[in-house]
Amino acid sequence: MLGAQLALNAVALGAAYGLVAIGFVLVLNATTAVNFAHGESVVAGGFAAVALTSMLTMLLPAGSAIPGIILLPGVLALTALLGLAIAGLAYLPIRNRPPVSVFVTTIAFGIIVTNGLNAVFGAAPRAAPALFGTGTIEFLGVTASRQSLAIIATAMVLIGALAFVLQRTQLGRQFRACAQDPEMARALGIRLTRITLLAFALGTAFAGAAGLLLAHQFFVTPSDGAGLILKAYIAVVIGGWGSLRGATIGAMLIAFFEVGVASVSSQPLAEGLLYVAVLLVLLVRPDGIFGEPQQLRA
Amino acid sequence: MSPASLTRNRWPLAAAGGALAIYALFFASSYDQRILTLAGIYVIMVLGYQFIFGHAGALSLAQGAFFGVGAYVTGILASHYGTGFVLTFPLSIIAAATLALIVAVPVLRLASHYFALATLALSQLLLLIAVNWEPVTGGANGLPGVPPITIGDLQVARGLPLLLFVWGLAVVAMLIARWQLRPARAAAFTVMRDTPLAAPAFGIDPGLLRLRAFLLSAAFGGAAGALFVHTNRVVSPETLGFGIMITCLTMTVVGGRFGILGAVIGALLLTHLPEWFRSLDEYYLVAVGVLLLAMVVFAPDGLASFFKQLPSARAPEATRRQPAAIPRTSSAASELSILNITNLSKRYGGIQALDTVDLALGAGEIVGLIGPNGAGKTTLANIVTGIARADTGNIRSAGLDLARATPTAIARHGIARTFQTPQLPDGLTVREAVETAATNAGDTARDSLHAAAGAAARALATCDLSDIADTQCGTLPHGLRRRVEIARALAGGPRFLVLDEPAAGLAEPEQAEIVAILQTVADSGLAILVIDHNLEFLQPLATRLACLDAGRLIADGPRDEVLADDAVRTAYFGLVKPASTSGVTA
Repeated sequence: MLGAQLALNAVALGAAYGLVAIGFVLVLNATTAVNFAHGESVVAGGFAAVALTSMLTMLLPAGSAIPGIILLPGVLALTALLGLAIAGLAYLPIRNRPPVSVFVTTIAFGIIVTNGLNAVFGAAPRAAPALFGTGTIEFLGVTASRQSLAIIATAMVLIGALAFVLQRTQLGRQFRACAQDPEMARALGIRLTRITLLAFALGTAFAGAAGLLLAHQFFVTPSDGAGLILKAYIAVVIGGWGSLRGATIGAMLIAFFEVGVASVSSQPLAEGLLYVAVLLVLLVRPDGIFGEPQQLRA
Repeated sequence: MSPASLTRNRWPLAAAGGALAIYALFFASSYDQRILTLAGIYVIMVLGYQFIFGHAGALSLAQGAFFGVGAYVTGILASHYGTGFVLTFPLSIIAAATLALIVAVPVLRLASHYFALATLALSQLLLLIAVNWEPVTGGANGLPGVPPITIGDLQVARGLPLLLFVWGLAVVAMLIARWQLRPARAAAFTVMRDTPLAAPAFGIDPGLLRLRAFLLSAAFGGAAGALFVHTNRVVSPETLGFGIMITCLTMTVVGGRFGILGAVIGALLLTHLPEWFRSLDEYYLVAVGVLLLAMVVFAPDGLASFFKQLPSARAPEATRRQPAAIPRTSSAASELSILNITNLSKRYGGIQALDTVDLALGAGEIVGLIGPNGAGKTTLANIVTGIARADTGNIRSAGLDLARATPTAIARHGIARTFQTPQLPDGLTVREAVETAATNAGDTARDSLHAAAGAAARALATCDLSDIADTQCGTLPHGLRRRVEIARALAGGPRFLVLDEPAAGLAEPEQAEIVAILQTVADSGLAILVIDHNLEFLQPLATRLACLDAGRLIADGPRDEVLADDAVRTAYFGLVKPASTSGVTA
């Protein structure tokens, strides 16, 4: 009973982390760039939800509750714009430089987002509204939280939509072509810059959606970015560099680890053990669990 | 670009430094003095960070963590036990360096983003510990009541005394950095950064260099953290937070990734900016982010690079090619084989790259290794120079078992190579690139710098490169790059040379020059293994040929015999095997 509830919470957390990790991989595959501002994009999504809520509260009659789900299109649109800004300012101008340059510019972008949010909203934790209201429902004899179920459903819809676009549309084929061989894709007439911009917009919007999903139960603070990018990154390393399915599985594993350890001890210990686990994993498998394709040649 | 070749315009800087000193001594308020003290602390931190981020070229996000470890060691010892500076300061440095040494095992061999994220994980871990281990660290509030610095009976008071003390230590840090980054070492770092895969072939051990850079960065970070705590008189989780790391990264990017001047400019600027931009209020840190982003995009070499003069045009030395200028090495005259390969095999997945290969080379011998694409020629070169490992078999060279030695040890043993794609460090001049090999590889490895410079000059003369010795490698045309690679391979005074397609992409006159250079070199006693397809290039050069096909050595002998061999002709020219050799005539 308690175990089932914990498992449901873990799946919900994993679904949200999964969106973050998928967004990270989308950018990674289209550009090979590691976007260090990705954690801040999640935070930005959470604050976009907070801001949209207070705007809607002013418009609607006093006392009417706002279901978080109606914020989703707005959050997606705002964070997609943020993604375009990251691509245009922090990636495209230096795309031909060594990778470390892009690490530093995206870190710089993250600093701008974190401190911009801090200046506007303050450092205190804020909460977004629940997606379909709070409370619990009885489901197959298990008391399940509405929010957890709503997170899982929303994430599944988003991931399903993405899978459809990638598998079934011309755009998706172009995406996958760029991921496999950007030079060749360009030679075949695929407009690489446009795909790059799209990847950043889509990837960041996924992070933003995760921000909305996480910001009710876990609150959102401007400085949350570093922890979130680490989790997305760990998920991607566990699941295999560049694999969307692997990233989702990795995110689930992290969520189960976190919820599991936290249920018998404390949240800081769960997080600390996760970082220790990463260092140990890298000790055994320096290229990630499934390895990164070797491209260097003497 | 290259840290070693900078010659700076010093007068305006000396004047600026003097003005700053006068301001600090006579005009600065106690608040200004505090800011300048902080700047001095950050100079130490940034000097450390330059080792790993600049010279080793790895984005470490643990510099803030090392700073924090230094801060907490001093804070805890001084606050709980009243331990004095004479003890806490060295302990802070040792603690940070020890932590670096411990995490170096999982972290240092990681490349690129893996390294960045692993160091970030370390920082987050330490921050969690500092916040949650309340009895020792004081939790989120930290520990107050850290005493001022006292050495014996002498107390370093706040204000000017502390300012001078900190800057005195900053000068010590500068001297240490300068000594650690003497020109030869700085050039070795550049080679490692620009051509990481080729570096071991010139006696440069990337693992060791990275470890050195990481430990130094940690030690400097720990020292800075300790001084920070004595300045603030409290230690709090803020010292371990990402903010300090970002400050350090921004200072390094803004000032410059290389050199003392970059560290000083970055630290002074970033500690004073909050004062100058007070009006920005809480948006100040947004402005720092914008500054960091803009610097990387528009001025990636930092502000210090604007004080750099163009390298002064050194007069080209009038040493044209001197015949047989390379000193004879080892037992050149004897008939002992210099390289002895027996029973060598190597498999990549389903492909047998090398299959029980035997090959021996004597002194002064030039052997051409031919074979179709994918025959295993480059694999052989990579195994002989230690870049790849053999599955089975032995390679002996004057008492050393090359199959079990590291690439660096092999290079120092006097086995040099060139690469199919020239691996030259773009940021160094031709002379610097060749000198790096002379200091790190081959017989001159333990000799003086002067000897290395001499060996490099001789190698350059042999390859007729003396005139362009001060040109940046990055600007060279392809034909010259090949010759620089050969000069670099010769610089360490090797006994054995492996050349992987040294004539690929060269015009005929350029090929003829390479042939002439190699013949001169072989006459002085070197053994040379030349890998190439191009028989027009090989025929005048090699009297002996060996042919690989699908990993097997199918022929080895005098040139004309090998070229007439049916198996070679079949494998190499795709000729149909004449019926007479197979013995199955109808």
